[in-house]
Amino acid sequence: MIYAVVWFVIAVLQGFMFWFFLEFDAVLVITDALISNLLFAFLGLLAWYPTRYIPFQRHTPVYSTLAHMVAGLLVLGTWVLIIYVLLSSIFSTDEGYIQFLNSTMAWRTILGGLVYLILVLIYYLVSNSQKLQERMQQEERLKNLVRDTELNLLKSQINPHFLFNSLNSISSLTMTSPSEARDMIIRLSDFLRYSLKHRENEYVPLKEELIRMKDYLAIEKIRFGNKLLYEFDIDGSCQEFPVPTMIFQPLFENAIRHSVYESVDPVKVSFKCVSGEGSMKAIISNDYEPDIPTRKGTGLGLQNVRQRIELAYQGKGFIDWDAKDGVFTVTIIIPRIFV
Amino acid sequence: MDTIKAIIVEDEKPARDLVKNYLESIADLEIIGEFDNGFDGLKAINELRPEVIFLDVQMPKLTGFEMLEVLEHKPEVIFTTAYDQYAIDAFEQNAVDYLLKPFSKERFEEAIAKLRVKLKKQPEHNSIDRIRQHFAESEEKIHRVVIKKAGRIHVISTEKINFLEAQDDYVMVYTNDGKYLKQQTMKYFEKHLDPEQFVRVHRSYIANIGCIQRIEPYEKSNFILILKDGNKVPVSRSGMQLLKENLDF
Repeated sequence: MIYAVVWFVIAVLQGFMFWFFLEFDAVLVITDALISNLLFAFLGLLAWYPTRYIPFQRHTPVYSTLAHMVAGLLVLGTWVLIIYVLLSSIFSTDEGYIQFLNSTMAWRTILGGLVYLILVLIYYLVSNSQKLQERMQQEERLKNLVRDTELNLLKSQINPHFLFNSLNSISSLTMTSPSEARDMIIRLSDFLRYSLKHRENEYVPLKEELIRMKDYLAIEKIRFGNKLLYEFDIDGSCQEFPVPTMIFQPLFENAIRHSVYESVDPVKVSFKCVSGEGSMKAIISNDYEPDIPTRKGTGLGLQNVRQRIELAYQGKGFIDWDAKDGVFTVTIIIPRIFV
Repeated sequence: MDTIKAIIVEDEKPARDLVKNYLESIADLEIIGEFDNGFDGLKAINELRPEVIFLDVQMPKLTGFEMLEVLEHKPEVIFTTAYDQYAIDAFEQNAVDYLLKPFSKERFEEAIAKLRVKLKKQPEHNSIDRIRQHFAESEEKIHRVVIKKAGRIHVISTEKINFLEAQDDYVMVYTNDGKYLKQQTMKYFEKHLDPEQFVRVHRSYIANIGCIQRIEPYEKSNFILILKDGNKVPVSRSGMQLLKENLDF
């Protein structure tokens, strides 16, 4: 809109100058001004495309400059050709005007080139400020995400309940079974050391993650005895698959909290892993008693894992859960990344 | 001197072993039972009437707190817990003692010493009553209600409650599976149920917002709730005000 108004004003100015200083006939002046300027206005719009698709950041300066020169010459050439043909054919009877047109053609071309240059610069300015705004918004979003993740990382650290209860079990085992106590201390230490890695957000081969998860389950098994059963079924090809550290811990914790903690009968936690094309699918399931009302807020651990997967794999990962027939199942698909 | 009878209610075997081991050197304290969940513990305590219980807070089926709520026999309580700020506040003032896991033998014997003093004093206010009182005065929200009915213990998730009705010193709890009488005040429920879900619509009624099917005018300026289960619940003027605020209409 503003663009159209500006061009109209320029056209009027040109017309007025020609009419005032060169004393041409009004109809002729208006036609010349309108045709040359409005045509330029239209062709000028086309200059938007090269600025849009030849952003300087993405190509070498030489390439960009060349591309712009080619685009500019094309636009300019088209413009000059069309106005010359149009104007000279419309006013072919007016000898004086034709002469004037011929003599000003070079000037018009140079002027047109300058205007085109200005247009391109303006377009760059506009598109850059747009990009800047976009980038600022994106940065803001990222900052929020990072902050949220940090918060969630804090939340998903080892549950103090687990830690203190485990220490209490160890204290008991020192009397009844010192060797088991020692074993449990080692497992607990290994597990805690591994959980500290979590903050660095690294990737580890699945087998390493699972060794630590088995430590975790073994510790819980000492506390709960035969009430806790677990089994692992891992595709051989999954062993080396890179996964974010501690990604499965909240899921095992969840499984235990909602089954073993709430049940008086034995419950089973199963972990199954199959490899797919460029991805790995893990399924964690546990028995639960559907009739027993749960005590505390559920799903926080699951939401954390969902967010981590979202962040780590930018929407290419997948997690979902489902409770049916007394079995709670979490399914995760992790894409392969190269680290 | 008579022996002190004790019951351990704790869901982890190593934790029970530890308490038993510490008790071995205390000759006049006898363990008459150990249980791994609140349900069995509750039954045994009412039957065997121990003088003291060693009680874990986090347990399957019935937490230590929920168990205390429905105990008929009220022994002294020594809590054992891992990490629970709210519970610690409650014990600090009311229980004989509480032991934070893991605890030393010395710390355990200290608790036993406190117990002996307490048992000699014959206090007029039992510590269980005081723990119940403490909870009633707190701002803690409840997610389930424990009710005895025909000799059985029912644990009802608050989500399953359709509405509550005052009946003298009791409150009738209505669910799709039946109704249960609970010795408790309306004020207690008003305070401890999630205010987003439950509204005191009348002096004698609290309704679960999720169970309301429609609100109909009733007599002059009153209203009545038609619930999804077909029951009708009267609404007072102030109750209507609360409903409006809660449901935004």
